[in-house]
Amino acid sequence: MTIFLASVGFGLLTAAVLAIAAVGFTLQFAVTDVLNLAFAAVMTAGAFTAYGVNKAGVSVWVGLLVAMAVCAALSVLLNVFVYAPFQRRGSAPITIVIVSLGMALIIGFGIEAIVGGVNVSYAMSQGRTWHAAGLILTTVQFVIIGISLVVMVAAHLTLRYTKLGKSMRATAANRQLARNCGIRTGRVITITWAATGALAGLAGTIFAIDIGSFGPTSTNLFVVLILAAVFLGGPGHAYGAMLGALLIGVATEVSAAYIVPSYKYVIAFVVLLAMLAVRPTGLFGART
Amino acid sequence: MLAFRRSGRWLATIGAVALAATLAACGSSSSSGGIPSGQKIVFADVAPFSGPDAALGPTYLVSCEGTTAAINKAGGVLGHQVSCTSADTRGDPADAIPAVQSLLARTHNLELVIGCTSDEAAAVVPVLNSHKTVMFCMTGQSEFDSKHFDYFYRLVPPDLAESYAMTVIAQQLGYKKIALAFGNDIGSQTFIQPAISAIKKAGMTLVANESLDLNATTFRTEAEAIVQAHPDAIMTEALGSADPTLFSEIKQLNGGQVIPIIGTSAAISPDFFTSSTAAIGASDFASNFHADNLVTATSGPAYQAFTQALLAVKGQVQGAQTGDFTTYFTAPGAVHLYDGMNLAALAMIAAGSADVAKWKPFLTSIGDGVPGAVTVSSFAEGVAALKAGKQIRYVGPGGPTSFDSFHDSPGIFQVDTYTAAGVVNVSGNITAAQLRAVSG
Repeated sequence: MTIFLASVGFGLLTAAVLAIAAVGFTLQFAVTDVLNLAFAAVMTAGAFTAYGVNKAGVSVWVGLLVAMAVCAALSVLLNVFVYAPFQRRGSAPITIVIVSLGMALIIGFGIEAIVGGVNVSYAMSQGRTWHAAGLILTTVQFVIIGISLVVMVAAHLTLRYTKLGKSMRATAANRQLARNCGIRTGRVITITWAATGALAGLAGTIFAIDIGSFGPTSTNLFVVLILAAVFLGGPGHAYGAMLGALLIGVATEVSAAYIVPSYKYVIAFVVLLAMLAVRPTGLFGART
Repeated sequence: MLAFRRSGRWLATIGAVALAATLAACGSSSSSGGIPSGQKIVFADVAPFSGPDAALGPTYLVSCEGTTAAINKAGGVLGHQVSCTSADTRGDPADAIPAVQSLLARTHNLELVIGCTSDEAAAVVPVLNSHKTVMFCMTGQSEFDSKHFDYFYRLVPPDLAESYAMTVIAQQLGYKKIALAFGNDIGSQTFIQPAISAIKKAGMTLVANESLDLNATTFRTEAEAIVQAHPDAIMTEALGSADPTLFSEIKQLNGGQVIPIIGTSAAISPDFFTSSTAAIGASDFASNFHADNLVTATSGPAYQAFTQALLAVKGQVQGAQTGDFTTYFTAPGAVHLYDGMNLAALAMIAAGSADVAKWKPFLTSIGDGVPGAVTVSSFAEGVAALKAGKQIRYVGPGGPTSFDSFHDSPGIFQVDTYTAAGVVNVSGNITAAQLRAVSG
């Protein structure tokens, strides 16, 4: 029972990190029509940006803000110089996916060429370890969960109640119609790239804080978890991504407690397949 | 018509002379074994340079660049300079095969392959063997204990011997309850069954056995399972970020206390030390870590020649610029591959040919020695002795070799520790009797 509760706690932590990435990824996809497989590579760039700041003797929390800014800029540049030209030429969605896969490799190997293959850690304290009802989490891990909750609430409020959020939803639903209604969709798309890039920087840095030791290849599998969370919730649905992240996060950690741990991601994907068999469009997708 | 016949005869004569001259020219420009003069002999480092085991390739490349620089300084091999190239296997058999095929296609004068770790050996050894390329591999996989590949050589012991060595270390330190935490890669998985058997035979208790997905991002649940099992020590090999992450999470979940760690010889590398100390602190890591390692020289002429060779390329090898460079002096890959490359180079000189069929038999005779052979401890010494018409036995920093019929030359073990500054110390020895006592 103790290991079960502990694994649920760890699952919540994994879900907290995953949710930020999944919400960023799915918003990016919904508004820009780009299934950006380079998202995790941008996360890695963010993690190493924060590492560079931290290595210079500055708090990693300041590094996190710098990482968000750098990744926002990087994402906008990715769109301006890579994805948008392909989209303007009418490239098929699968072509864009392949292009994004190429960008993931270019960014990933680029980071590896700069920082080398060695794994690094932030100079920071994890704070006190708290034990409560079988859950075991450090102060920093509670902060990570708190950040994730704040991001989820902010995403909800932005999408629901702000002009920008409504414009994003309208652009996601029908770009042409949104443009005809006076929404400056080009500007909305650029802002979306910046905002979701910032989320990638945030996710990358707290991911690196969470795992303790990270390297250029650390997010290689994480992108698959992001996709799983997004498709479990229904692609393009922010709330679906949140729920998908929660299910995937808890499923991986709880299964690690009871089966061969190296199969924990297999179990997560069995859950995903079973769910999609029942609801092919995901939990928040339209019923077919 | 006659004129035509005559000119035809003249043409035939000129053609024959030209052909003969060309053949003669080819013969004279090929100094040895078909390698044209002026061209370099190539040694290739086939190992992971990316992926979780990315630290291995650069370690071997340091050895290759250092060794070949020393060989070239001593005059090269049969009038040829020797150079290094590399192929990144990414630690995955699926990536290794095309990498090796590309290497074979693009590399002229490839005489030797080094590296071929357990990650990819099962895939690439048959390919290299069918290509008649001699290889010195850093794999401990047991399948090579009994399967014969003509061109396969190794100077490291089978993995099961390392499992026994780790168990002996646990015995020596008085541990009773052991947890296993090995990566899910081929290279690490081969340690598990021999370790379980040795732990049982040593009268210790296996309290946890966690398999770590090297691509996973956290191991919190696995770490908690280990902490809850209250082991005295953890035997582990999970390279890349896996072990450092596991250590960090165990420390966090164990109230800030690190559980003693017993690693394999692969943990004796600057990258592993740097990553692990970054994760749990240098002091905690140094005071809780032991690893088995093959006995290698730490002084004497062979060691001097070896360290000078490596120091000559310090800071020049991409991917090997972090950590304490002196760690390479005890890294098994660096030491034993240095010996393998020197053996190969001396074998070519002894055979007077870069034709593999001619020089390969000299690997065993120079390594194991023949009656009356003089012992040499470096390539330069070996060349001088060969030029003096003597038979030689090469004994490098990795110690004397003793090849069996499968070209295996297992060494003997020692116990290594790190200082907080990353310097490797030998803290004990493991006797053959101790290994036999726990072997299955």
